[in-house]
Amino acid sequence: MSYYFTILSPTDTPLFNIAFGTSKGGGDGIARFRFPDTAQYMNQFIIHSSLDIVEEAQWTNGGMYLKHIDTYPPAAAYISAFLTPSGARFLLLHQPPQLPSATPTGSSSLLNASGSATRASSNSIAANPTSPQTEEAVRQFMNEVYDTYVKTSMSPFYKQGMEIRSPVFRGRVTAAGKKWL
Amino acid sequence: MSSTTKASRIGEEIWKTRVDKVNAELVTLTYGTIVAQLCQDYDSDYQEVNKQLDKMGYNIGMRLIEDFLAKSGVGRCANFRETADMIAKVRTSVIRNGYMSEQVGFKIFLNVTPTVTNWTSDNNQFSLIFDENPLADFVELPDDGRSQDELWFSNILCGVLRGSLEMVQVQIEAHFVSDVLRGDDTTEMRVSLVRYIEDEMPPEED
Amino acid sequence: MSAPPRHSAVMSISNAGPPQSASTDKPQTPQQAQTPTQPMSGLRVPSNRKTIYDRHLNRSRNAELSRASFAFLFAEMVTYAQRRVTGIQDLEKRLNEQGYPLGLRLLDLLFYRSTSTSSSALSSSSTSSSPPNRPLRIITLLHLIHGPLWRLLFQRAADALEHSVSADTPNEYMITDNDPLVNTYISVPREMSMLNCAAFVAGIIEGVCDGCGFEAKVSAHNQPSEMWPSRTVFLLRFGDSVMEREKVLERAGVK
Repeated sequence: MSYYFTILSPTDTPLFNIAFGTSKGGGDGIARFRFPDTAQYMNQFIIHSSLDIVEEAQWTNGGMYLKHIDTYPPAAAYISAFLTPSGARFLLLHQPPQLPSATPTGSSSLLNASGSATRASSNSIAANPTSPQTEEAVRQFMNEVYDTYVKTSMSPFYKQGMEIRSPVFRGRVTAAGKKWL
Repeated sequence: MSSTTKASRIGEEIWKTRVDKVNAELVTLTYGTIVAQLCQDYDSDYQEVNKQLDKMGYNIGMRLIEDFLAKSGVGRCANFRETADMIAKVRTSVIRNGYMSEQVGFKIFLNVTPTVTNWTSDNNQFSLIFDENPLADFVELPDDGRSQDELWFSNILCGVLRGSLEMVQVQIEAHFVSDVLRGDDTTEMRVSLVRYIEDEMPPEED
Repeated sequence: MSAPPRHSAVMSISNAGPPQSASTDKPQTPQQAQTPTQPMSGLRVPSNRKTIYDRHLNRSRNAELSRASFAFLFAEMVTYAQRRVTGIQDLEKRLNEQGYPLGLRLLDLLFYRSTSTSSSALSSSSTSSSPPNRPLRIITLLHLIHGPLWRLLFQRAADALEHSVSADTPNEYMITDNDPLVNTYISVPREMSMLNCAAFVAGIIEGVCDGCGFEAKVSAHNQPSEMWPSRTVFLLRFGDSVMEREKVLERAGVK
């Protein structure tokens, strides 16, 4: 599984982003997106195109963690969202590895299949982006990032909408990804 | 050593029984906005920000010592002679113990008791080490390549000390020499006695 | 001010002090300051590598400081602000602007605390450990301000919460504090009798509203009563878009 995580300000300015791969099931933590050359651009495009759905969900679901909210079938990309009460959006794009045997489409029923013999499939998080286990792992990840984010935003010198450049922050997000995803 | 114990006991006692309290985070966050605002107004001229903070602290220190003397019970003086006596008493303790007022004062202002150390042999200089500093909770200095060399975030404390001691006729000079916010291992303020003010009246405000 | 003695001088005499300085065994490594310890970061960190990220957000949750400290500090803030503005309106605007970012921070802190602990800061009655909801409707938001926010700041709830009775201003709500902490030590000069320093608190409220997605203007007004001379009413005026959304959510049955 490859991940692209981004924090957007209430006015959609990117404050932070990071790409990483799964560390579960022997994963090396390196992101391997399907279209490596255009991954950065693609990921941002996919995330931004899910914002309408986020905004809709924002006013029907009062939770901070909105779970899996959107899927982009052409890239088999899944988007999960977490909204801080002060309006920042945490968005996680996850993309399962391309399996040589099964042809992934956007359909979760296909991806649900455990027929593949790849290493990744032995792990439910990697194999199925919409399973309860995945939702829970993403929740833990989001909560941990939220903890770190609040620490950033409590500093009197941090103003809403400022890019987060602290290497310690990046380190904490990386560690959370490693731990839960 | 007994004076240390005594000072902190007095501080603790006053703190527990006679000080009205507020949520510490309200103070911390309010102070943070003050410093951030100064940095913005002075366009990150940190020397100037330090100066302004020290000035604010000086005013606070003067008012604080009045409040403190009232709370510690020695402040209700019937006449001028008694006032002078009281000031003399506090002054004596400042001279004898060097730091009693500082310790008590910081306990009341910040609910912390700094450690007193690094005396000079003439007893005219010492350091206050702050293991805890509620003003700096939650704070990370701006990553602009200068703030950690130029800004003393808690500089208001120097002014507080200066102002409160001047109220008891002791003129001092105080400045920070290290701060954990700058990446130092300790937060240390250096305090030097300038002179004892011989006038009987408290000084006018700047 | 004379040139401050630097550490070298301080250290050389550090052992010459009187016996009172019993704690000279404290680590003294001032030279640390001169050498960056973490080349990857622009910011230096102490040798124990502690940063804001290592400090638990609940650490100061129940900590207290003296009311006088706050009052004097706040008074300095007002005095300083006064020097840089012309007129009461300007001053109140400035105090409001200084409160605003605090509102955003407190909002995140409030929710953080209610997700991370079993005893929720947002609801005193709740026994479930499920995380609190972001307010979606005006009334939920107002309760958040009147209760949890006020308790976090002032250790008690606000005294009243009302909706405008006028049909012309359905977007106006009022939160009353009979005795605002920020006004307790402040004596406003007579020529500024209209000034209410609670404009700072109004700014905090505005930050909370905006943060939650409820665009609003909040102002503080003196409404003294015989019993409460510094009684203050915070007037919240929500924007049109908020009122529109409110209707849609009402129809959709969103609570």
